[in-house]
Amino acid sequence: MSRNLPMSRLGAYLMVGLGALIMLMPFYFMFVFATHTRSDIFRLPPPLMFGGDFFDNVAILTIHIPFWKNLGWSFYVASISTALTLLFSAMGGYAFAMFDFRGKAALFALVMGTMLIPPFLGMIPTFMIMDLLGWIDEPRALYLPGAASAFGIFLMRQFITASIPKTLVEAARMDGCSEFSIFLKVVLPLLGPALGTLGLISFIASWNNFIGPLVVMRSAEHYTLPLALRSMQSPMNAEWGAIMAGSAIAVLPLLILFMLASRRMIDGLTAGAVRG
Amino acid sequence: MFLSGAAYGATLNVAAYPAVDEIVRAAIPAWKLTHPDVDVVVVSREFNDHHSAMTTALATRSHLPDIMVVEVGFLGRFANSGGLIDLAQAPYYAKQYQSRFVAYTFPQATAKNGALTGLPGDIGPGTLFYRHDLLQRSGVSIEQLTASWDSFVAIGKKIKAATGAYLVADARNLKDVIIRSDLKSGEGIYFDAQGRVLVNTPRFQRAFALARQIRRERLDGNVQDWTSEWSESLRSGGVATQMMGAWLGGHLANWLAPETKGLWRASELPEHTNIAWGGTFYTIPTKAAQPKLAFEFIKMLTLNRERQLAAFRAQDAFPALLEAQDDSFFDQPVAFLGGQLARKQWRDEAAKISAVPVNKLDFIAMEIVNTALDKVLNDDMPIPAALAEASRFLEYRLRKP
Amino acid sequence: MKLHNTTLAPYLFLSPFLLLFAVFGIFPLVFSFYLAFQSWDPIQGIDAMYYVGLGNFRFNLGDDWFWKSLYNTLWLALAAGIPQHLVAIPLACFLQQHFKRMRNALVGMYFLPYITSTVAIAIMFSALLSTDYGAINLLLRTLAEVPLLGQLLPNHNIDWLNRPENIKPAVALVVFWRYVGFNTVLYLAALQSIPKELYEAATMDGASARQQFWKITLPQLKPMMLFGVTLSVIGGLQLFEEPFILTNGTGGSDKAGMTTAMYMFKTAFEFNDFGIASAISWMLFAVIVVLTLITRFAFRERQSPPRLEQAA
Repeated sequence: MSRNLPMSRLGAYLMVGLGALIMLMPFYFMFVFATHTRSDIFRLPPPLMFGGDFFDNVAILTIHIPFWKNLGWSFYVASISTALTLLFSAMGGYAFAMFDFRGKAALFALVMGTMLIPPFLGMIPTFMIMDLLGWIDEPRALYLPGAASAFGIFLMRQFITASIPKTLVEAARMDGCSEFSIFLKVVLPLLGPALGTLGLISFIASWNNFIGPLVVMRSAEHYTLPLALRSMQSPMNAEWGAIMAGSAIAVLPLLILFMLASRRMIDGLTAGAVRG
Repeated sequence: MFLSGAAYGATLNVAAYPAVDEIVRAAIPAWKLTHPDVDVVVVSREFNDHHSAMTTALATRSHLPDIMVVEVGFLGRFANSGGLIDLAQAPYYAKQYQSRFVAYTFPQATAKNGALTGLPGDIGPGTLFYRHDLLQRSGVSIEQLTASWDSFVAIGKKIKAATGAYLVADARNLKDVIIRSDLKSGEGIYFDAQGRVLVNTPRFQRAFALARQIRRERLDGNVQDWTSEWSESLRSGGVATQMMGAWLGGHLANWLAPETKGLWRASELPEHTNIAWGGTFYTIPTKAAQPKLAFEFIKMLTLNRERQLAAFRAQDAFPALLEAQDDSFFDQPVAFLGGQLARKQWRDEAAKISAVPVNKLDFIAMEIVNTALDKVLNDDMPIPAALAEASRFLEYRLRKP
Repeated sequence: MKLHNTTLAPYLFLSPFLLLFAVFGIFPLVFSFYLAFQSWDPIQGIDAMYYVGLGNFRFNLGDDWFWKSLYNTLWLALAAGIPQHLVAIPLACFLQQHFKRMRNALVGMYFLPYITSTVAIAIMFSALLSTDYGAINLLLRTLAEVPLLGQLLPNHNIDWLNRPENIKPAVALVVFWRYVGFNTVLYLAALQSIPKELYEAATMDGASARQQFWKITLPQLKPMMLFGVTLSVIGGLQLFEEPFILTNGTGGSDKAGMTTAMYMFKTAFEFNDFGIASAISWMLFAVIVVLTLITRFAFRERQSPPRLEQAA
């Protein structure tokens, strides 16, 4: 490869790097704020360097809310929700992408339609259903509805349509495979990047979701993190340092998950297995 | 079901928000002395989340707590919902306690049909915090500043010229205080007793005119409360006065501006205005599982002198109970305010606050009026036009289907 | 018992989703549709609902704030949405071509904003957008020193959050920051599935890098563009969190930062009228449907190579 980079290329490298730093900046502040007291955070100019109050903040945090329990619940709900979402969305997206059946267009339109309803408008009817089912304060009230993800179906259908040829499926059918084993053995292995992407997005959505828990959870022990952290907030008396510390800790699992998933997502295709 | 009085292994559910949740939790040990078998579980949510969750629960009349803490701004709506117990009825007979509380609180909890839907936990007497040192440097006195609203602005100019400090953080704050003063009897802030819109009246015109004057003379900092800029101006002497509830004093001392200890004082609002700024009520939903026990607990939180004083000391929750105000704590100097006997002052001012009837649409009215003020301040819209438009807009909403 | 029936198969594959959807998706949908024709103050209880026909819709049409919120929403959807894609596509291509080892780390940094919770964003951006001490104004003032670029930039501090004319750009900035990485990830995933043979064949035919970009990369990215832009349209028109937290739930000075979704929330939970709120949501829905259809039309396939046959 040529050793002297053209100026435009160098400029592009610089901009990408600068852009990355700008993306990072608010994040950096979040971690810095997590290490300061609330007096310091509300100062101008705000603190730029790390302070020494992180552990104090965590202590305050655990006094106000059952933080580690909430963290555990967030994990539990997000994991199950993601696993179910991946399975159901892959199956559903596959159905929409590979088959023609009666009512397909109408059904797809209906599914897409739900993506357009703002979440909090569904607060009261969702509460009514959960109440009827007796699921108030139960985690299944969080991960089960989440598993019916219109977005997931949309993404899977898109990906399958774009990268899995019908001929592949038909060939397997002619070989005598059952529908389900075609799905499991032929299609699913090729969905790596899509599953990685959807899995990441679903996990993040479930992790950061606070309207669901607000509607359904009645006891502080069952709160997930966003709701728990918010419950410490009041414009007048918020322990901002503690809340930032909690937010910083809350974001770490997502970061780790991203680093794992992105490798799968992006490197998983260099084998060029798409074309079969 | 439980026999009245003896209840084994019962649990009281309380729904609250910061910092009232702390007040309730602090009362549990005392409760356990008289009711060892009754547990109290406090579910805390962020202020708005709490009221949204309570709205949801009231909508379906299910999963309601035994005790619902309601802030006075929401009480007008919740009281008229039919979902809260009328505590004036048997077996509560709460009306008998009326004389023991600060006068204006009971009307706040009274629904249109006369039902008494809650007992007051704490009140927020409005006060003017001012920087004594800045006034001294400008050669003016607090009496001069608060003689009238016009003098407030005039003296404010002197203070700005001498020290560079803004008179107020936000002109909107000034408007809020003025529109709450000088109410005719039976009038609410935005609506009169018949529900007619009061927005285009002299009271509002004066408030808008003064707010505009302040903005034009650059006497306000145009910063929102509870932002970093606001707290910075409190800390650094960037603003000379702050009108708010008395509970702000505690915040200033604890974390907003602790380094300014001794520099602030508190005074009555200009033109002897006495208004309330916030306040907490304890209510019992009709669908509560343990209404009688809930009432016992509420009585302890509101009628018990020790608990009221404890809440005041810990969370700056100004007692609504008159007896609690009769304590040596009130005669103590407040160090942060330079040794001023502020608590006594606030107590006397609180007694002068009059009850203001609330209307379901008060919240919308507030937002409409704020938007009108924005137009006057930012776009130079003439005041009569802005108020007429706001009035029209509010009337349109009255005609909603 | 092995399933070979291709007529039955799709229904079976869809069944878990459909079951959950029927219970948790359809009821709220139907309820909200029903509510749009009622007047309902929720705290009065379910019995307090009463029928008002098209009254809610008529009310919204005559409501200044409804139209203002719609204008704000469209403005924000475009101002935040378009740059996201204009930046994400070249960025994804650049990352794909020129970074091998650092790629994950870089993509990670661009993706971080998407992960952040709204609580953190509220505090962080209030500090960053501060008029006199915020880093953004600091950056702008530094850039204003640069000879050519500086002419375009104002030489005073911008009051982002208090002046109505600045609120929308501030919100658009935050939304852009939050989602540009998300779109970059989507496009990167799509880029990975473009067969290398296409590029190899083109190079052998003597096509330049730029020609390859316009003739191969972009058309191959079209399905993902349709997907991404649709998501941005829907997400943009439903924008709620960012304007809500930046204006503290008020909508900002003169309601300049109030989106329709935010207006809906306030109508439901602050003004306590669920009927009007539902009507607003359905009117917004109509707008979203129209714009989604326009997007599909814009990105429609003009020729259909067998590989890219759309299943719908």
